Amino acid sequence: MKITIEDLKNVRFFDDYTDDQLKIFIGISSIKEFKVKDVLFEQYDELKEIYILLSGCLSLGISIAKEKRIRLGTLEDGQLFSWSAVFSPYISTAWVMATCPTKVLAIDAKKLTHEFEKNCEFGFKTMSKIAQTISHRLSDTRFQLMNQLTL
Amino acid sequence: MQDNRNIYTPIRARLTDVIEESPSIKTFVVVPEDKFSFKTGQFIELSVDGVGEAPFTPSSSPLITEKLEVTVMKTGYVTEYMHMLKPGVLMGIRGPYGRGYPVEAFFGKEVLILGGGCGLAPIRSLLYTLESIKDKLVKVILCYGSKTPADCIYKPLFDRLNSIEKFEAYRTVDKADEDWDGSVGVATTLLNKIKINIKNSVAVVCGPPIMMKFGTIRLLEMGYKDDQIYLSMEKNMSCGLGKCGHCMMGEFFVCRDGPVFTYDEIKHNPEIWK
Ligand SMILES: Cc1cc2nc3c(=O)[nH]c(=O)nc-3n(C[C@H](O)[C@H](O)[C@H](O)COP(=O)(O)OP(=O)(O)OC[C@H]3O[C@@H](n4cnc5c(N)ncnc54)[C@H](O)[C@@H]3O)c2cc1C
Ligand code: FES
Repeated sequence: MKITIEDLKNVRFFDDYTDDQLKIFIGISSIKEFKVKDVLFEQYDELKEIYILLSGCLSLGISIAKEKRIRLGTLEDGQLFSWSAVFSPYISTAWVMATCPTKVLAIDAKKLTHEFEKNCEFGFKTMSKIAQTISHRLSDTRFQLMNQLTL
Repeated sequence: MQDNRNIYTPIRARLTDVIEESPSIKTFVVVPEDKFSFKTGQFIELSVDGVGEAPFTPSSSPLITEKLEVTVMKTGYVTEYMHMLKPGVLMGIRGPYGRGYPVEAFFGKEVLILGGGCGLAPIRSLLYTLESIKDKLVKVILCYGSKTPADCIYKPLFDRLNSIEKFEAYRTVDKADEDWDGSVGVATTLLNKIKINIKNSVAVVCGPPIMMKFGTIRLLEMGYKDDQIYLSMEKNMSCGLGKCGHCMMGEFFVCRDGPVFTYDEIKHNPEIWK
């Protein structure tokens, strides 16, 4: 499936990118589709792609034992996930599963980091967005933990 | 003619209905025997004879004056007793007290409301008010989180709000059960879902202190300015009249100067999230 600049402009994650920067993403991305109960990746899998949810429903969680999945949250359209793909050791910290037919943008992580080296402005902008995603996830998890402690 | 009535004497009010909202939250419908009105966000002292009184923000529309709804979470002595009451008994009301939501300041704006737990009670009253002035608003978005699906109060409210022009309502739970197919995560995760023009917006936060803190931080990160964020503060109270000092937060009497403050007004207070 071909991706266009217009497609990306409709996705919240890409709100403040220029057309030239969006072209970089188009050159290193593909669209992937998943059915209900498809697991995009498991906790501890090695990740090679960063994903952005385009449409559908995804649950995210951790496993405490084989087959025992704990659902921690859901992802919203336009949200970035699988950020571990750009940080060594590239191992996923959670599993992600589709709970309805879902479309994601899969960005090749190796090619993306290569683009960061070539284009610092693009790299800084994207890494800032990834850092913000991680910061939000951390703060939401703290909030959730404090709620559970007072349950 | 001078009114010699003692300021602490409540108005009698008949309890006409009790609605179970969740395992720990009930709504009490009371009909005051005297004229009684309030502004959205103001609070009242509701009393049970021989037991005591406690402050609550009415959850009903301020436009309806013949009856009043108060949604009460069971937390201690007075509220546990209230949860045992049956329709027919007489209760007492004093108030209304404090400064509610300055809805005129919301005219021409997008209003984002972030709520958690029993904080939806005052928010419901605000939503009724905003619905009545929706021609003067750009849009209203409610993001609400409860701990579990069973803890979510006013469930039919969400469908109703989503059917009103200019209104959007989302809810999430911290911990889902088998039947829950909606969003999972704390209330702030819903902020990833919404589209809002922050520059032309105000945000209202109401809920447990943990949610108020994390919610305010996220709003600031999103780009809200300190004076665009309205917080409804709950501090232990006694007189409700700015006389006893129980509710003091820095230079403010929360009962008299609040309970609604902008974050800008109270951000330097070390007691803010306690
Ligand atoms: C302006 C205002 C509006 C409020 N609106 C609502 C509402 O709409 N619905 C609702 O369920 N509750 C509301 N509250 C909280 C409610 O007043 C308390 O839950 C109630 O006073 C507890 O009384 P109690 O005798 O049952 O508990 P207590 O036996 O006195 O105490 C039980 C526990 O509740 C805590 N607590 C006591 N008073 C307060 C208080 N004022 N605020 C926070 N925690 C308290 C105590 O620290 C203790 O941990 C509001 C409080 C304020 C100040
Ligand atoms: S409750 Fe007495 S001064 Fe505020």
